[in-house]
Amino acid sequence: MLTPGERERYDRQIMIGEIGQEGQEKLKGSRVAIAGVGGLASPTSIYLTAAGIGMIRLIDHDQVTLSNLNRQILHWEEDIGRRKIDSARTKLKNLNQSVEIEAIAETITEDNVSQLVDGCDVIVDAMDNLPTRYILNRCAIEKNIPFFHGAVNGFEGRAMTILPGKTACLRCMYRGPVPQEKFPVIGVTPAVIGSIQATEVIKYLVGIGKLLTNRLLIYDGLRVAFSEFTVNKNPGCDHCGSPLTPSLSPGGERDG
Amino acid sequence: MPAKIHIHATHRQFTSGLEVVAVEGNTVGECLNQLIKQFPEMEKALFAKKDKLLNNVEVYLNHASAYPNELVKPVKDGDEIHLVIMLAGG
Repeated sequence: MLTPGERERYDRQIMIGEIGQEGQEKLKGSRVAIAGVGGLASPTSIYLTAAGIGMIRLIDHDQVTLSNLNRQILHWEEDIGRRKIDSARTKLKNLNQSVEIEAIAETITEDNVSQLVDGCDVIVDAMDNLPTRYILNRCAIEKNIPFFHGAVNGFEGRAMTILPGKTACLRCMYRGPVPQEKFPVIGVTPAVIGSIQATEVIKYLVGIGKLLTNRLLIYDGLRVAFSEFTVNKNPGCDHCGSPLTPSLSPGGERDG
Repeated sequence: MPAKIHIHATHRQFTSGLEVVAVEGNTVGECLNQLIKQFPEMEKALFAKKDKLLNNVEVYLNHASAYPNELVKPVKDGDEIHLVIMLAGG
């Protein structure tokens, strides 16, 4: 049940026919894990907090640096040197006291990932590297938790939503490791992609709309153009193919 | 009518700035070879070695993933090939 204060606070989105009071109650009862608290997580966590998600779990081991500030709008000059999860929790709590914010300062590994996302209804990919994305992808499939992928480079970004067992996963087109490099980016790109990820999470939790499943959305900020590509579930995928392999093959878990 | 290859923004430095290149070929591999004949620098942008695409290159044929065995996928006149680069940043 929503309180009178919540009905007032979320009035404009409750007015959306697809959400309504029932949808708002679903958001209030939802638990979201956000992996990484940087450029993508900044808009994603802000909009999910503003929308009244019940609990948001932030996972990031890093501290705020000056070079983060061009894009990671959760973190400000006064936060330099502070843990990102603490900086983020302060901002998000100031935005919406009623959202429970769990902050976990850990590096996501194959060993701890299952515990880190345990009890969450969805996992948001807000990582800055492919190896950790694959760790999350595999865990999401094994635990049957929907996984909301996003990635950026420069003015370009992409997003896809993964429903374990039903749709293509992040690994379905895997050909091998990609060298890890420092990536260029300007804040407006993760702003677009993170907002799309948050939109997908809200749609999934409320149970409305058409998700970005089996569809890779690519955003070209230089042209302001969106392209969509069909991606099919790969029966031979080493993460979501059948039968599910119990563990990664040697060397397969770490790329680059 | 030939097939069209859509060049990724980061590769247009190798195609004289062209965003779309027309090629003739019966497979994705033949089309890419035609592209490389016109713009030799595209070879290192796409291939790790002969017939082995770089791991970060994605090929879409008529807006659908051509994975796996992208290079042998048949191409008809009028088909569209998109060459896309995997992204890792966040």
